[in-house]
Amino acid sequence: MWIQRLGRALGQGRRHLHAKIVKGTSIEVQPEPESGASSMTFPGVWLRDNCRCSECFHGTSQSRRLDWDTFDTAVRPLSIRSDKAAGEVHVSWSDAHESSYTLDWLRQRSFDADRQRAYLEDFYRPATRHWAGAEFQQVAQHFDYEEVMAKDAALQQWLQALAVYGVALLRGAPLDEGVVRRLAERVGFIRRTTYGEEFVVQAKPGAQNFAYLSLPLPLHTDLPYYEYKPSVNILHCVVQTESQGGSNLLVDAFHIADRLRSDHPEDFERLCRIPVDWNDIGSEDGREFHNIWRAPVICLDSEGKYTRINHSVPQRDSHFSVPLAEVEPWYESYSRFVRLARDDAHAFKTRPGDVLTFNNIRLLHGRTGYDDTEQNSRYIVGAYLDWDIIYSRLRVLKKRPAIQ
Amino acid sequence: MFQADPQLSRVPGRRQPKPELDLKTASKQDHLRMVIVMDHQSPGKLDMQFPDIWLRDNCRCGECFLPQTMSRLPQLWNNLDTSVRVQQHSVDLDQEILYITWSDGHASQYPLAWLRVRDFSLANRTRYLSDFYRPEPRHWSGTDFEHIRREFQYRDLLASDEALLEWLDHLAVYGVALIKQAPLEFDVLRRLCNRVGFMRRTTYGDEFSVRAQPGASNYAYLAAPLPLHTDMPYFEYKPGVTLLHTLEQSDSPGGVNLLTDAYHVADLMRERYPEQFRVLCQTSVDWADIGHDGELEFHNIWRAPVINLDAEGRYVRINHSIPQRDSHFTVPLEQVRPWYEAMALFVRLAHEEACSFKTTPGDVLTFNNLRLVHGRTGYDDTDRNVRHIVGAFIDWDIVYSRLRVLRNAKSIS
Repeated sequence: MWIQRLGRALGQGRRHLHAKIVKGTSIEVQPEPESGASSMTFPGVWLRDNCRCSECFHGTSQSRRLDWDTFDTAVRPLSIRSDKAAGEVHVSWSDAHESSYTLDWLRQRSFDADRQRAYLEDFYRPATRHWAGAEFQQVAQHFDYEEVMAKDAALQQWLQALAVYGVALLRGAPLDEGVVRRLAERVGFIRRTTYGEEFVVQAKPGAQNFAYLSLPLPLHTDLPYYEYKPSVNILHCVVQTESQGGSNLLVDAFHIADRLRSDHPEDFERLCRIPVDWNDIGSEDGREFHNIWRAPVICLDSEGKYTRINHSVPQRDSHFSVPLAEVEPWYESYSRFVRLARDDAHAFKTRPGDVLTFNNIRLLHGRTGYDDTEQNSRYIVGAYLDWDIIYSRLRVLKKRPAIQ
Repeated sequence: MFQADPQLSRVPGRRQPKPELDLKTASKQDHLRMVIVMDHQSPGKLDMQFPDIWLRDNCRCGECFLPQTMSRLPQLWNNLDTSVRVQQHSVDLDQEILYITWSDGHASQYPLAWLRVRDFSLANRTRYLSDFYRPEPRHWSGTDFEHIRREFQYRDLLASDEALLEWLDHLAVYGVALIKQAPLEFDVLRRLCNRVGFMRRTTYGDEFSVRAQPGASNYAYLAAPLPLHTDMPYFEYKPGVTLLHTLEQSDSPGGVNLLTDAYHVADLMRERYPEQFRVLCQTSVDWADIGHDGELEFHNIWRAPVINLDAEGRYVRINHSIPQRDSHFTVPLEQVRPWYEAMALFVRLAHEEACSFKTTPGDVLTFNNLRLVHGRTGYDDTDRNVRHIVGAFIDWDIVYSRLRVLRNAKSIS
């Protein structure tokens, strides 16, 4: 783990320290001059901006308080002194300010590309690993509900698995309706949507939402019609159907996108570029809503990494606000995406006491149709959690061993 | 460009029966399979054109569409045949319905009124997106503020849908609106949010109190000047609208609100300082909040530029907060100094373009937290006068949904 590795490295580096001003504006720190370890360079303007003194940094809120209305980006270091015993670097600045930085603090913020990558992938957001349907048994980890509730280590393992693979199954949960809330509050808090906080998925004739019917529910992501789409789906199986159906279907849509990118680049390009109108029109508890969000099926960030998949046949609007010439090609590409996803889907059936958790930004899920009887009616309680809240919890958990 | 093509199927707006489509010629050009509807009611009497696959996908019959959920039934998509084509078609002008029989044996009907609002023409799409989807924002400078500033009465917003619509529309277009005459009660923001939809919860809970607290774990909870910033840039899902209800204002000269339309600042940079603009659009910054609120310990981080653009170059979000910018800065070394220079320019311009005013008890200031930067001057509390603001958030998804529902209701009535 990033923090622990760092902790070990820090202990070794304390005794030797050399620092100098380079190019007039930057500072180079050499932690172990005799070992030949590479030096770290820090831009002066960044160091000055991140001065740790109480005038510039507010300790209780862990926040910068430096006055940027008068901050001069041309500030430069005038002199530098390293205190080997304390493992600190002291800098005098051209604006007459004095700052001190510990080597520990500097190393954690090194601009070295490998260290930055390690920080981002271990601490910021774990790197994802994509999987094909046939690999499902290897990637889908099981955790014991009671352990996750009682032990921080189990909680961390569950959230880490969810972040990396996008799916994890909890077993042995009680059959009461409070499970999803207790689980969400173990992490942070439930993400509320138009449909409330917890929601119940059971067959309701005349339901306002397509999921509340016993018909087959083809692969989809939930709530693509939100700009701020709920991140993680928690589905607690209270009663499973004894009929043939009711199986869960799951696909890693990042894997489907990988395949399109390599095998069908034209389809990939269209699905990344052409915005689709996703919508949901209806009412819940007497409150009317008309949700719309326009976004492509495959959403990429500026570095070409997947940020989100949108897919739902029922929640795709009949409004399609794109130029006419884009329509037919988009249909061809989208139908390929749907076929590939369908063929790659993994099916399994949860049992009462199972809590299925998956990344709704990334995975497609569905279920086969089923038949309720009077004695046996399928009953699933669901809720959402946001990634902001999950990653925050994961970071807090990862930091703990290093602090203790 | 498609209208000149003789191989298109054409449905003239006359009485049925209609001549059959020449299938042989239509099949030659698979990528240009359009149904054209001549519509004498459309502005300029332009033909409406619809791709056949889109029509088939959006069939309104009970097998293909479920009215109770207002959604498409997905069975067709289990094995979608994108080569499906029109076999026969006709228009009933009295009923204003387009009838189509498909090569897969299916029959569909489309009301012309339904087709008109889904017409693919640029004019119709633009109208739909800016009138209904999300109103077009209008950016303002600090000196424009007095012209765009608008006040709403709290009581009207709770009682009248018309007033509610005007408030939300103004907020969407200008990013700021002031509500007057709210009671000095703690549940005002909850009532307002429930009138729109529901409050957005964050790591700081639902409502939050902004009051000077020595040793506060959040920088805003100090009496020191709070420089211009957006709230919670450290969330990927940043709260959309900030609502600040003044319960007690400071009698000291301070506690003045500052507001800047950062989209206007971005406009200025794009125009006058394109290189610095590019740097602020492309350099990812680590925004962070480390601490706890009650029992909940958090370590929030989100990496994103200061100016965030969509694929078409429109602004989607501004991130700015000096206290909540992490000391971690995970960019290549050579990007650091150019970013600082561009950021200092942004901060200077935002400061120059700020408007200032002081809310009074009973005011609720509402603004777009994705777009505006806000701040306040420092103030001094006394034993008898403790500045007290209650805050809450609501998300744009929820605001826009409400706005659409209100617009629909208005157009029907």
